[in-house]
Amino acid sequence: MVIGSNESLGSWQASRIVRNMIPLLIVLSMIVLVAGVTLENAQELLAEYGILAVMVPTMIASGGNLGAILSARLSTRFHLGLTELRIRDRTLWANVAAIFALGLTVFTTLALGAYAIAALAGDPAATLFELLTISLVSGIAIISIAVVLSFAATWASYRLGIDPDNVTIPIVTNVVDVFGMIIFIGVASAVLGF
Amino acid sequence: MAAVDEFVSIYREALPVLLIALAGGLFSGLVLEAIIERVATFPGLLVAVPVFLATRGNVYGALGGRISSGLHQGLIEPRFQRDDRLINAIVASFVNAVSMSVVIATLSWAALGLLGWESASLLEFVAILLIAGVLTSIVLIFGLLLVIFAGYKRGYDPDNLVGPIVTTLGDIFGMLFLLLATISVEVLI
Repeated sequence: MVIGSNESLGSWQASRIVRNMIPLLIVLSMIVLVAGVTLENAQELLAEYGILAVMVPTMIASGGNLGAILSARLSTRFHLGLTELRIRDRTLWANVAAIFALGLTVFTTLALGAYAIAALAGDPAATLFELLTISLVSGIAIISIAVVLSFAATWASYRLGIDPDNVTIPIVTNVVDVFGMIIFIGVASAVLGF
Repeated sequence: MAAVDEFVSIYREALPVLLIALAGGLFSGLVLEAIIERVATFPGLLVAVPVFLATRGNVYGALGGRISSGLHQGLIEPRFQRDDRLINAIVASFVNAVSMSVVIATLSWAALGLLGWESASLLEFVAILLIAGVLTSIVLIFGLLLVIFAGYKRGYDPDNLVGPIVTTLGDIFGMLFLLLATISVEVLI
């Protein structure tokens, strides 16, 4: 077993992976700190409406998941040598449409699931209509951001000659985290009049 | 109708995984609710929660993406073995995850200081994030590889699996171990 010294491993060398990733990880952490500060700041809203806290991880993670699925597919396209992005490429549009369809399904189910949990806990502080509005309005905004970022990040990392595997997914999911948290807390406060 | 086929195949393949991710997300949301109740003991801890979860996603998403591309390119095989590429990738992800726990603790503590908000001590932040970071990493490395390999052998495209698996396992175990870490640190310190 060889760790960190065998040149034939190329981009699979542990020391090289760590060296390449740590600076990016630190920069991304600083970006996501904004989501943390937003969460800390919304503590009173979350204490009042506990069901929102239950929705937070899915709200944030789903945007990242959808972006990650799309980025991974785009990355693989590039790896396989399909390096052109054409506006009239129907396969690309099918990818985008599938991501939106998946997102709408997930965010609708999230609202229903959260409402069911709140009802079971005997604490329906928000109506089903309010939860659906919060989930779908923030959801559509988050999916749109995730799609745009997936294309931009994959294309840019390819142009800059950086392996998209190490870069695209982290950038997309982290920036979506920040927007997701800000949008979700903002939409929830507006809908609930908090 | 290649485009329609592409749409249907992505939707069909990704939906079950996303719905599992949704169930996992709701569960970790319930744990987050419990963590919010504990914030009184460690003020400012919420600042670190999204960064901690995002970093798990970054490190293990990269590992998963690398394994996925490696499988597509035929560079690695879909099973646990003493393969140099596989071992290097795993070691790198563990080093990244654990060192980032210390960085996240310091950043969160510093951000709270700059904002002038009430904050737990730096030592408490580092202890909580290190405990949660090490435990989450161990579960994620094995869980991620297990699911990717099993999925790949059954004919699933690992590209569709990596993101959701990482976020689901990361959110559930990250949140649980974060809660566990706050309890242990409260007892220890």
